[in-house]
Amino acid sequence: MNPVEPADGDSRTVEQACSPLTRRTFLKGSAASAVGLAAMAAALRPLLALEKENLTLDALLQRHYRELTPDQLGRILDRLEGECERTYGVHPEIRDIRPRDGTEFAYALNLGRCIGCRKCAHACLRENNQSRDSDEDINMSYIRVLELEKGGIDLETSDHYYDPGTVPRPGKYYMPVQCQQCREAPCTKVCPVRATWKEPDGVVVVDYNWCIGCRYCMAACPYDARRFNYSKPKLAAKHINPDQGYLSNRIRPKGVVEKCTFCLHRTREGKYPACLEVCPTGARVFGNIRDPDSEINYILQNKRVYVLKEDVGTRPRFYYFFDK
Amino acid sequence: MRNDRRTTDATGRSGLVFLALIASVLPLPGGESAATATPALPVVTKPTPTQPAVGLPTDRHLDKEPPRATHGLDLVKMGWTYNCMDCHRLLEAKWHRDAPMVEHQNIRLIHGENRFCLNCHHPTNRNAFVDYDGSEIAESDVVRLCAKCHGTTFRDWQAGVHGRRNGYWDTASGSRSQLRCIQCHDPHAPKFPVMKPLAPPTYPARAAHPPTEGRAQH
Repeated sequence: MNPVEPADGDSRTVEQACSPLTRRTFLKGSAASAVGLAAMAAALRPLLALEKENLTLDALLQRHYRELTPDQLGRILDRLEGECERTYGVHPEIRDIRPRDGTEFAYALNLGRCIGCRKCAHACLRENNQSRDSDEDINMSYIRVLELEKGGIDLETSDHYYDPGTVPRPGKYYMPVQCQQCREAPCTKVCPVRATWKEPDGVVVVDYNWCIGCRYCMAACPYDARRFNYSKPKLAAKHINPDQGYLSNRIRPKGVVEKCTFCLHRTREGKYPACLEVCPTGARVFGNIRDPDSEINYILQNKRVYVLKEDVGTRPRFYYFFDK
Repeated sequence: MRNDRRTTDATGRSGLVFLALIASVLPLPGGESAATATPALPVVTKPTPTQPAVGLPTDRHLDKEPPRATHGLDLVKMGWTYNCMDCHRLLEAKWHRDAPMVEHQNIRLIHGENRFCLNCHHPTNRNAFVDYDGSEIAESDVVRLCAKCHGTTFRDWQAGVHGRRNGYWDTASGSRSQLRCIQCHDPHAPKFPVMKPLAPPTYPARAAHPPTEGRAQH
């Protein structure tokens, strides 16, 4: 077709003049788009099924946490709050709390003081909204308390199922293990979708909406610090902590990995983590490693600290020491 | 052990309240019989027991109760203000007692080599503790008393790494509290008492070996 030059005084644009809409082209176009719509509807059908499983289209198309604009994030937080209220009957306050400038967290634990009472492991659940069947169920706790023989650090013979009448037992000592927030975190290196990464304050976090549940990170972690939601979290309304953070203790969906975040919704606001708050012997010390006057710096300067599995080169932010 | 103590304290407290109720509610049956009966004890009004708050009020889901609960402390918590010298001005101070005392029977001094009352208690003012030079340390200053022997521990406590801190690690955001010596340690038997551990994790179905098998190996 030869291009048609619009005559002077013709009000049509070049495009209109060049491709006049005849009856034939109109029918052709509408038939093609009808086929396209049908195909698209068929392709999207599985999504309708997903909606029934509580995964909305919004959630499916959600972008990675680090690519979100504040507006998008705000809408996501509103949606998550609504979902939680509909599913669990409690309206939470889910916030996005960013790391503070000049702050890097570190944790120290005095094994000479720990008596193995497991109050930290239980407080972890109270704070972080992990799934549980009953009050006694701490399988999803981020903290495992190991019972070891005095005289060595033999993790292979340690036992975290110990349940004697009273602790500490003679000849034993206790080592709580949780996420070591490694500086060279193997879990973040193996994630195929970069759903887990290290924040500027040293905390390793997971975007639960980006995680695909492959569990590579669990295999890579030398400390058994990660937990997987094999089913939709079971939580009674009375057990839900409504103070929630997007990257920390909001209630996780099914099929994603979760982990200790040093309670970042607390610690980034200046509070101590929950496990420290409840320790009856004061064995736990937490603070900002960049502050020269902090408690944690006092420990690192004055006590003989060691890190767990130093030989694997993870450079943990979690230090152990023996002291009175 | 702690639970037993708590229940006895609770029953003791409710008993006192009960007595007070009877004394105040029951009408005395007439002048003559009231004169012959033993006179009713004076009713002492006590404020409800309160402990100094530990940690943040928003953390109600966390059990932050200090580990020590003793009889003496509970009396203070119940609002008793007692003056030790009411009795002790009559009873002379002794360095050592071979027989168990008539009062303070619940006190067992299991504090290592430190086995004399007057190592810590002031010989003439029993409401206070004694310093190196014989001067008085106020009851509220008990940390200074313990620091006399436990200097390194005191140094760590001052730095905030011995004894639990609660509240805010960042003092610019809020205040923090720190437990003092006798909130965790019984000064007469300072070794930390044994505790019942909370429930263990159960055997996860995905693990390879049941826990009993693992335990039998070592």
